[in-house]
Amino acid sequence: MGGALSAPTMIAMLEGCKSNTATEAANSFALSTDYKGLVAEIAEIIIPKTTTPGAKEAGVGPFVEMMLKDCYKPSQQEHFVKGLDALEEESKKANGGKKFLESTSAQQTALLKKFEMMSNEEAKKIETAKKVLDAETGLAKENKGKVETPPTPFFKLMKELTLLGYFTSEIGCKQALAYVEVPGKYEGCVKMTPGQKAWAL
Amino acid sequence: MNIQGKEKEKMTYDAIVVGSGISGGWAAKELCEKGLKVLMIERGRDIKHVEGYDTAMKNPWDFPHRGNMDSMAREQYWASVRTGYTGREEHRHMFENDKENPYLEKKDRGFDWIRGYHVGGRSLMWGRQSYRWNERDFMANLEDGHGVDWPIRYKDLAPWYSYVENFIGVSGTKDGLDVLPDGDFQPGMEMNCVEKEFKARTAKKFGGRAVTIGRTAHLTAPTKIQTDLGRASCQFRNACMRGCPYGGYFSTQSGTLPAANKTGNLTLTTDKIVHQVIFDDEKGKAVGVKAIDQNTKEEYEYFAKIIFLNASAINSTWIMMQSKSKTHANGLGNDSDQLGRNIMDHHLAVGASGTFEGMEDMYYYGRRANGIYVPRFANWGSDKKRDFVRGFGYQGGASRASWSRGGQMDGFGADFKEEMTQLGPWSFNIGGFGETLPDANNRFTLSDQKDKWGLPVVQFDAGWGENALKMRVAMMNEAAEMLDAAGMKNINTYDDRSKNPGIGIHEMGTARMGRDAKTSVLNGNNQVWGASNVFVTDGAAMTSASCVNPSLTYMALTARAADFAVSELKKMNL
Repeated sequence: MGGALSAPTMIAMLEGCKSNTATEAANSFALSTDYKGLVAEIAEIIIPKTTTPGAKEAGVGPFVEMMLKDCYKPSQQEHFVKGLDALEEESKKANGGKKFLESTSAQQTALLKKFEMMSNEEAKKIETAKKVLDAETGLAKENKGKVETPPTPFFKLMKELTLLGYFTSEIGCKQALAYVEVPGKYEGCVKMTPGQKAWAL
Repeated sequence: MNIQGKEKEKMTYDAIVVGSGISGGWAAKELCEKGLKVLMIERGRDIKHVEGYDTAMKNPWDFPHRGNMDSMAREQYWASVRTGYTGREEHRHMFENDKENPYLEKKDRGFDWIRGYHVGGRSLMWGRQSYRWNERDFMANLEDGHGVDWPIRYKDLAPWYSYVENFIGVSGTKDGLDVLPDGDFQPGMEMNCVEKEFKARTAKKFGGRAVTIGRTAHLTAPTKIQTDLGRASCQFRNACMRGCPYGGYFSTQSGTLPAANKTGNLTLTTDKIVHQVIFDDEKGKAVGVKAIDQNTKEEYEYFAKIIFLNASAINSTWIMMQSKSKTHANGLGNDSDQLGRNIMDHHLAVGASGTFEGMEDMYYYGRRANGIYVPRFANWGSDKKRDFVRGFGYQGGASRASWSRGGQMDGFGADFKEEMTQLGPWSFNIGGFGETLPDANNRFTLSDQKDKWGLPVVQFDAGWGENALKMRVAMMNEAAEMLDAAGMKNINTYDDRSKNPGIGIHEMGTARMGRDAKTSVLNGNNQVWGASNVFVTDGAAMTSASCVNPSLTYMALTARAADFAVSELKKMNL
């Protein structure tokens, strides 16, 4: 399976809208103007412009919003927005009342590192809760009980969608990676060339 | 509708083929080439070769969700969601909208039914792995007493395997193994460095255990048979399920349909759902089929001397179940009450993965839509101490991790971005494909619920057997042992038991071949017992499941049955 979506993210999507009303609710999702800018900026911090264009140029901000709207259930959308709320709050607390976009680059990086750690902790808890031991086989298996899978942590989802949005964009495929539309042949053992980039596909 | 005189004449052919998928295409080609006027009836829409492959040349960024399913699609393609890949944006249009075409499942006895209703059927989206069955596969039921004995043996099918391979084009290497008989191959695809290493180490550590490159229906050195049909070599794009504009892999559209059209004997009609075989009690044979237009709901009747049912394992049987007459009061050929029973599939989603350290300066070029294959070794040769019968094979391979590994890594920013553009570590995965046993309790029936055409909705009642569950433990553990022996690190095992039968999309059985009308639905020539001018040559006919991918066997059975049908027709026996 292609794409950057990890197992928990896929599950969040798998269990996506099961009824029309849920789909309708999910379809009305939109980020505020402030948050559109914030998401685009976080994406750019994750994948910045270097010798090749960054996430902003590849349109990752709008992509993340569109994916949230089209592919995720309302509880995931809400969880994501709460993550943005928390980021703004933490920014003000840590940086003398400054919003994330008003703070310095170093402050932004520090804050996102903190949010990455928080995401990891949250993800660990979800993983533990998901696994149950099968009484018969002793194997760990997915808990198929009625418990609804908790949403993917904010930063984790933000990062995964950023990676997906960037590296499958035309810029990502053709400039950041190496893209051959029609290879025409297969060679199994090729010595890497200096500066070799990974294939886009 | 009661058709008489001229109208009926227009609707009359020598042969009717129901379904245009991998086996239906073969039935049509063979019957047409032998001079019969053939009507091929497809329930879904037409998809034209090349021009009908809407997404074939699209780039990743051309798909709004970059391949992922949106919530609306998840709701509509609720069965496809279960596979994790058939509902993807690149090829979802090749699969059925499950909401529009519903089916029912008994509680905890479900079935993952993945369908493709259009010209070409699932031959457009199949996995293309093409393996001959071995001699013991045809004797397995006899050996251990599960199900009934096959009425045919390997030698009956061997020439037809060759015949099919030479037409469709199968790339692979000859390995001289009893367990995986060699075929007539085009050059095999290359293994990458780590796969070659795995092959060498496996042979050394496990007393000659074989690892081969997947045998796949892709052209690597097309012959005149293939180039005459406009087919070209595989271009290694790995976008197969969208339809291949190069004809690089075999499908109805790239192979059997143009061949059948060349004869001038084929009539193809689309959008007609065949739901019944018309059986004439006085004549003691079938005379035609009834169909409903999927768009206008208009009813049609078509007539022919012989009828081939190739509507897929479930739908051919679904048609037979609705074909009740005085002679066949319980459904066509169903005196045995075996119709709809013995659904089989391959059980999968079990195996191991790991990473390989070394060969860091090695890469590969091209996108090989193929992997390696580890032929069955359990319960084979000297391997006998098992707590299960039959066996399994592994499919998998090595690759270097892409940017997607970043989702599981910490970090962001310029250095992180740079790292994501570089080649990741080598990873290796092998997943098992296990044989399931024929079990009369694994079945489907016609429910009281009707679909939008007023036709009965299928209800499944199926599960994995005890034998398969025991086999899975070995499949998982021995995958890990093989990776360990090959020097892999960070080995992870998996055994996902949440999937239903059907997940392999290798559904077989439901109208099995056999030696006795009391215990089977078809005889050794795929003729329906008591309706000898009706042939069923798709997955429904299978008496056991082997552990190798089944499509090559469907094609060989079909070519063999078509040859028999025409010779019988000439002898005035049908």
